[in-house]
Amino acid sequence: MDAEVAILRLLHIVPGVVWVGSAVFFAWVLQPALKVTGPPHAGALMSNMVKPMVVLIHSSAWLTIIFGVIMAFRVRDPLFDFLWSTDWGTMIWVGALLAVLGYAVGTTGGFTSKKMMDLGASLQGPPTPEQGAEIARLQARAMLLTKIASVLVTIAVVTMALAQHV
Amino acid sequence: MDVPLVITRIIHVLSGAFWVGAAIYLALILEPRVRSIGPQFEGQLLNHTSKLNSAWITGAAVVTMLSGFALISLTPGRSMSQLASNAWGNMILAGLILSLAAFFISGGAGVFSAKLRRGLDAGDVSTDELDRYRRNLSLLSYLNAVIVTLAVATMAAARFA
Repeated sequence: MDAEVAILRLLHIVPGVVWVGSAVFFAWVLQPALKVTGPPHAGALMSNMVKPMVVLIHSSAWLTIIFGVIMAFRVRDPLFDFLWSTDWGTMIWVGALLAVLGYAVGTTGGFTSKKMMDLGASLQGPPTPEQGAEIARLQARAMLLTKIASVLVTIAVVTMALAQHV
Repeated sequence: MDVPLVITRIIHVLSGAFWVGAAIYLALILEPRVRSIGPQFEGQLLNHTSKLNSAWITGAAVVTMLSGFALISLTPGRSMSQLASNAWGNMILAGLILSLAAFFISGGAGVFSAKLRRGLDAGDVSTDELDRYRRNLSLLSYLNAVIVTLAVATMAAARFA
C-alpha cells in the first residue's frame, strides 16, 4: 500500500509541478517579455513553441488529474463519503474543481493564441489598422486567460496542500 | 491548524513548483526554439528575458531551499538532526544535495546565457565561440531540469521511506 501510494504520489506531484510551474512561468515571465519584443520575431517564436508547449502542458495536466483521482480513491475509501463529509474532502474537491477550471481557461487561452497566430500567418503584407486591432485584442485576451489559468492552478495547489492540515 | 507550518509549506510548494516548471520549460521548450528563429532574435529575447529569468528562478530556488529548512524544523517529529540518520533523513538529504547541485548548475547556465547575450550584442565574438556558449547553455539547462525533477521526486517520496 505504501509503495503504491508513494508511486501514485510521485506520478501526481511531478507532472503537477511541471504543469503549474510552466504555466506560471509562461504567463507571468515569458509572455510579457515576448510582448515587449514584439513582431515579427515574437510571433515566429510563439508559432514554433506551440506544439511542444501544448504537449508539455496538456500531458502534465492530464497525468496530474488522472493520478490525483486514482490516489484519492486509494487513500480514502469510500472516497465519496470522505469528499462530502470531511474538511479534507472539501479541500480536495475544491482543489480539483479549481484545477479543472484552470485547465479549461488555459485551453481557451491557447485557442485564442492560435486564432491570433492564424490571423498573423494569413497576412500578405503589413496588417491593416482593423487587422492590427484584432491581433492586439486577441493577444490581450490570450494573455489575460493564461494569467487567470495560472492563478487558478496555483490556488488549486494551495488548496490541495492545505487539505492534510484542516 | 499549525499556521506557521502551513504557510511555510505553501511557500515551499509554490516556489518549488515555479523553480522546477520554469527550469523544464526553459530547457525543453524555450531554448531549442529560440535557436531556430536566428541570432538576431536570440539576442533581442535574451536582452528581454535572461536577467529576468535569472532573478525569478534564482529567487524561487533560494525561497524553496530556505522554506525547506524551516519546514524540517517546524514539522512535528522531524528535525535537522535526522538528516542522514534515518530513511526519511537520507531522502531529504539526497533531495537537498540535488537541489543545491541544480542551483549551481543553473548558475552556470546563467553565466553562459550572459556570455551569449553579450557576444550577440557586441558582434565581435566568433560563431564558433557563440556555438560553444549555446551548447554549454543547452547542456546545463537539460542537466538542471533533470536534477530538479529528481529532487522533487526524492522529497515527495521521503515520507514513505
